Amino acid sequence: MRQPIYGFILFIFLILPPVVTLAESIMAIHMHTQMPLFFISGFLMAPFFQKKFPGFFDKWNGDGIPGILLFMIIVIYWMIPRTMDEALTIPAVEIFKFISLPFFAGLPLRDSWPKITERVKHAVYISLSIIFAFMAVLYIAAPTQLCNNYLLFEQKTVGWGFVFFAGAIFFYFIQTLFHKETEE
Amino acid sequence: MTMNDKNYSRIASITILVFGFLLLFIATDGFQAFTVEQARVNELIEEQPLFPEVTLEDSKGRTYPFSEFQGKYVMLTFIYTACTDVCPELEMNLAQVYQAIPKHYIGEDIVFLSISFDPERDDPETLTKYQDYFASDGETWRMARITDENELNRLLDEFGVIVIPDGYGNFQHNSAFYLVDPNGVLIDVMDYTKIEEASRKVLKVLEERDSQ
Repeated sequence: MRQPIYGFILFIFLILPPVVTLAESIMAIHMHTQMPLFFISGFLMAPFFQKKFPGFFDKWNGDGIPGILLFMIIVIYWMIPRTMDEALTIPAVEIFKFISLPFFAGLPLRDSWPKITERVKHAVYISLSIIFAFMAVLYIAAPTQLCNNYLLFEQKTVGWGFVFFAGAIFFYFIQTLFHKETEE
Repeated sequence: MTMNDKNYSRIASITILVFGFLLLFIATDGFQAFTVEQARVNELIEEQPLFPEVTLEDSKGRTYPFSEFQGKYVMLTFIYTACTDVCPELEMNLAQVYQAIPKHYIGEDIVFLSISFDPERDDPETLTKYQDYFASDGETWRMARITDENELNRLLDEFGVIVIPDGYGNFQHNSAFYLVDPNGVLIDVMDYTKIEEASRKVLKVLEERDSQ
């Protein structure tokens, strides 16, 4: 049970005010480092909650679908340019970010992943690739600021970050298909 | 997995979908505003803030309060002349709106005004030079700066103009056409890239006033 401790330490580190200020001063670090790390902290902490409340997860997330839906909703929510902007200006949205990414995205994904079928996994890989590719095009091509708190060139950097994420997920997905074939 | 477990999962899924829909609905004002800029414009149009009392100094060096334009519509933009990307496009488009408005309205019922938020560099000489690029006459389409920093900030704040210095003498800022009515109330914020739509809107407002 070391992972939950690491996850918890990571979570505490991420919510330290100086760390928050630094991470949010640069758009690419905000979007592509801080947010994924919050997600990872929840992912790491998951076994603690699974052990603590086994009945809850078995009962309400029996087939893993609710967890996947929750994960996707939280990902989509944080893809909206406005939410990222408001995380900087509205404290409630900032707090929602600290809670939603670890506990409504990282945690449910880890609980759901072993429970869902191959087909659902494929759907998750494909949806994430499409969403990130869309965000990449949007952020690179937009002639004006999508987030008022950040500069235009930062936005383009974030766009290229999405190219990387979309590509990485897509190639990982393709790789899993071959992996399965050789196993069979 | 028993039938009962499946039902629980189904209930959880539906609850999450409803929660997700509400979350996204609230976050975007009912799928109306996906960026803060959109939300800002929608809010401004709803709020209709009053143009605060500021002292303008125009390209001819004249100083006067904004109430100088009382009784006329004012079509506004916010710029700085050292800007190389958005502002020239913004002003070029404003020039097209200016030309699309019938001559008898110009100066009588409506005045065009470009306000600089870089008062340090945009002195009257610089503004005079700048207005030549866009065939602005300095009279019916004026370019002006606001020298008092507090007044400038108050105006930018009221009208939701966000200006971020990039550290190299340039500013990142949001752009739009602002239409202020004869009483100094902001009545519309228009997309500066949609010239025809903006011209149509302004003309409609002027014609409505004519028919009254």
